[in-house]
Amino acid sequence: MEQEKSKKSIPFIKIIIGVALLGFAVVVVSGNKMWYSEDRPIEILSDMDNQFKAKPQVGSTFFADRAASRPVIEITVPRDGISYPLEKPDFERADSVIGQNPLQASDFVLARGQNRFEALCAPCHNADGKGNGKVVEKGFQNPPSLLDEHAVGLSDAHIFHIISAGQNIMPGYADKLNMNDRWTVVHYIRSMQAKR
Amino acid sequence: MFTKEFDTRVKTTVKVIVPVVGVIVLLVFFGFRNTVTDVGYRPQQPVPFSHKLHAGQLGVKCVYCHTSVETSAHSPVPSTSTCMNCHSLVKSESPKLKLVRESAEKGTPIEWVRIHKLPDYAHFNHSRHIRAQIDCASCHGKIEEMGVVAQNKPLSMGWCIDCHRNPSEFIIPARPISGIFTGVKAGKYDSTAKAVLSPVKALTEPQFGMWESEVPKSEVPGIPVPKHPGIGPENCSSCHH
Repeated sequence: MEQEKSKKSIPFIKIIIGVALLGFAVVVVSGNKMWYSEDRPIEILSDMDNQFKAKPQVGSTFFADRAASRPVIEITVPRDGISYPLEKPDFERADSVIGQNPLQASDFVLARGQNRFEALCAPCHNADGKGNGKVVEKGFQNPPSLLDEHAVGLSDAHIFHIISAGQNIMPGYADKLNMNDRWTVVHYIRSMQAKR
Repeated sequence: MFTKEFDTRVKTTVKVIVPVVGVIVLLVFFGFRNTVTDVGYRPQQPVPFSHKLHAGQLGVKCVYCHTSVETSAHSPVPSTSTCMNCHSLVKSESPKLKLVRESAEKGTPIEWVRIHKLPDYAHFNHSRHIRAQIDCASCHGKIEEMGVVAQNKPLSMGWCIDCHRNPSEFIIPARPISGIFTGVKAGKYDSTAKAVLSPVKALTEPQFGMWESEVPKSEVPGIPVPKHPGIGPENCSSCHH
């Protein structure tokens, strides 16, 4: 009886093996998962993959708001420099507080300014600075051209202030551009205005 | 020796067990690699954010939101204020953005699901790779074509080492969509210019510290000078420090 059973089961197993080998071949040959999954990746041995420590932008069980990244404490300054001292409406004080552009308009500075402008300003101001960027097409208020008389007449410090703290509905970019990056953008805007 | 019945039983058992165990071993060995287990991980995010729309169609560059990628090891998920830069006016009533508006009002974090994850003992530094003009797509795939982001590369150690040894085969040089600073070329900035690989040195040369010494000093503090992508370090302590 047992012999017969096992004899009968062999072809069935062969089919399973065949299918398994085929699937295995497909997976290995493609070198890629052929389906998408919402489940977390399988960890066969999770050695020390997940250590108990505060990681950037990962939640924490220690603080009441469950965020490991803490907001800046009020009386402290960031290590890479002082935070921007002026508020949005303080543009009149910009000239006296900010002063001159400390950078020379070298090739490197202009290149960096163009790079930052195209990345951070172009969504609204467009790459040519005339407004009507892609975000404006989606319903954002169109910013005035950076090449018109008004913008040309602004001082470097005033433009720096607008980049840092914002103006009207434009938000400040002090968190995205460090101090020198903002000055390179000022240089780049000036170079665009010179070419208009 | 054995009875005939016992003999057949042994033979049958061997015939069945050996292939089954063999296939299981092979499947575990090859099927549990990162290419199979990790690639294609596509969780649903709390806010249905589409990179395909924002980066692909609107052309917002990667560094607009993932700003400090070139200065820090960790490439941050943008703060809610970054979303609100535009969404204070654009689609400000959309129900899909309810969570974002709540987050902006109350200061509660949006709990995005992390997709790309290295083990905690491997220290990947984004800023080093961005400074070498290596495009985001080299490791993340073409995110601007993904509606819901999925992991595209295995992110295993072998995969890292492959690229560290043969960068010319695997590196995608900085593309305009990523917004990576590629530096001045012939007195001009050209975001479409491709990164030039630095000459590959023999692996027998001492590597530790070699790459730091090659980085030129920036004329402006706080703005890194892009360097040529070259072979990456291969010593353990480069990543497992």
